[in-house]
Amino acid sequence: MNVLTIQNLSKSFGKQKIINDLSMSVAEGSIFGFIGQNGAGKTTTMKMVLGLLQSDHGEIRVCNELVCFGETKTNRYIGYLPDVPEFYNYMTPLQYLRLCGEIAGVSKGEVERRGRELLSLVGLEGAAKKIGGFSRGMKQRLGIAQALLTQPKLLICDEPTSALDPVGRKEILDILRRISGTTTVLFSTHILSDVEHICDHVAFLNEGKTAVCGTLAEIKALHGHDRLFLEFASDKDLQLFKKQKSIAPLMSLFQENHRELILRSSNMESIQKSLFGVFAETGICPIKIELMEPSLESLFLEVVK
Amino acid sequence: MNGYIAFVKKEFMENIKNYRFFILLAVFLILGTMSAFLAKFTPEILSALAADMEMASEPVALDAWKQFYKNISGVGFSAFIILYGSCLSSEYSKGTLVLMVTKGLSRKAVILAKYTVAAVLMTICYWISYAAAYGCTACLWNDTDLSNTAPAAYGLWLVGFLYLSILITGCVIFRQTFTSILFTGGIAAVISLPGMMEPIAGFSPFILTSKNVDLISGETVPSDFIIPAFVSVAVSISGLFVAIKLFQKKQL
Repeated sequence: MNVLTIQNLSKSFGKQKIINDLSMSVAEGSIFGFIGQNGAGKTTTMKMVLGLLQSDHGEIRVCNELVCFGETKTNRYIGYLPDVPEFYNYMTPLQYLRLCGEIAGVSKGEVERRGRELLSLVGLEGAAKKIGGFSRGMKQRLGIAQALLTQPKLLICDEPTSALDPVGRKEILDILRRISGTTTVLFSTHILSDVEHICDHVAFLNEGKTAVCGTLAEIKALHGHDRLFLEFASDKDLQLFKKQKSIAPLMSLFQENHRELILRSSNMESIQKSLFGVFAETGICPIKIELMEPSLESLFLEVVK
Repeated sequence: MNGYIAFVKKEFMENIKNYRFFILLAVFLILGTMSAFLAKFTPEILSALAADMEMASEPVALDAWKQFYKNISGVGFSAFIILYGSCLSSEYSKGTLVLMVTKGLSRKAVILAKYTVAAVLMTICYWISYAAAYGCTACLWNDTDLSNTAPAAYGLWLVGFLYLSILITGCVIFRQTFTSILFTGGIAAVISLPGMMEPIAGFSPFILTSKNVDLISGETVPSDFIIPAFVSVAVSISGLFVAIKLFQKKQL
């Protein structure tokens, strides 16, 4: 079952079309990485899912219910963590969670129980000071606690790690990984290593639509090319290597940079066999040979090219 | 309803924590107390400053009420509007409402809660100020026998609700505090215009602010206040309705 379904969604700001016929769905139980460059429209899409922004065209369904702009009915299924969560600075974390619980209609006893449980999960159990004195990382962790208070079916996190230091980032990713068994997570980011760490499904947003979408393994298998990196001792060696007739078929997809050469192919084994034959025949000894596996970064660069 | 009650509590807490309530209470209390004292002692102060100046007549209790209505309708409500003008703009600029709305808080509840708390605080400040003015006037003029002081005060109190309604509408339309306050002043001026047009002057809510002293002195009767009071309430409710409708479609 899909927790979120977006169909033919479009949104323009003035003459600039940000989202252009976007369609995608998020399956229940997944950690969905929503990847795109800065300004690609990730936040715009999320705000439309939350009913905070009006779409020009298209349909969004959360748990099979239609999302309407300005109305908050479907938000009962969603927990939302904005990129920079802002709270009432004069409150303590527990007071803020009580306010959220009361608004969402959670009983007092339940709010107290879950509030303390979640503050402990995000490492804020001892923080009795006012939110005004919190660091950015602490606010981000409190943001996760408030988003999970109502036990949402879908947790939407808008670039939760972008502004954090490596320790803060790791903490947030650990928390997201821990909750993934109980909640579906939609996680927007442009930090690809974060996606590789915790996501099982991925969508690349480019020019307002999903350029690639699927499980991480599928995407790597379908769109990724293995690459072989070669570094020669001299330019003479490189030119000699390129002149060899037996490697001509391998040179259909390559990148050259000074004494370096990157060969791409989906059948890396045959390339390696041919190469080592050429090296044996010509006596060329490259100073570095490295097999580069497809990474999200290379895929991302390929998509946005 | 859950959301409305929770947000009302949050608003009360905010107004106490940021000292807005205490500042307004102090301003209104000072204005209420000062009215009687200023009316009583201004002639003496002036004679002390200019020895050759003679006052035409002795100050009376009615002068204290004149001072009270002038101070509250001018300084008191202006202070309230200036301090409360940031009630939504600070939420817009910080983005604090986004998390509340995504938690399921209806936009109608936000506006109604903000209005409720502002109205309750205004009521507390206003009637404490009135009580202070009444007490001081009674102390300084023992033999006073003025009627209709309470009905006159009800009139200005209703205008307070009207100002708040216009202010909330301004806060919804504009993101900056200053523009919301200017909007309130502008609309208040527009609403006061019918008061200058003779055939419809009797319907203008601004009779409630300009004729209070006449009511106390007996120059007008309480029944003259009935239609303006209804108009004031109707405009306040309409303003609130418009604010809710506009806020439903406001991008947070």
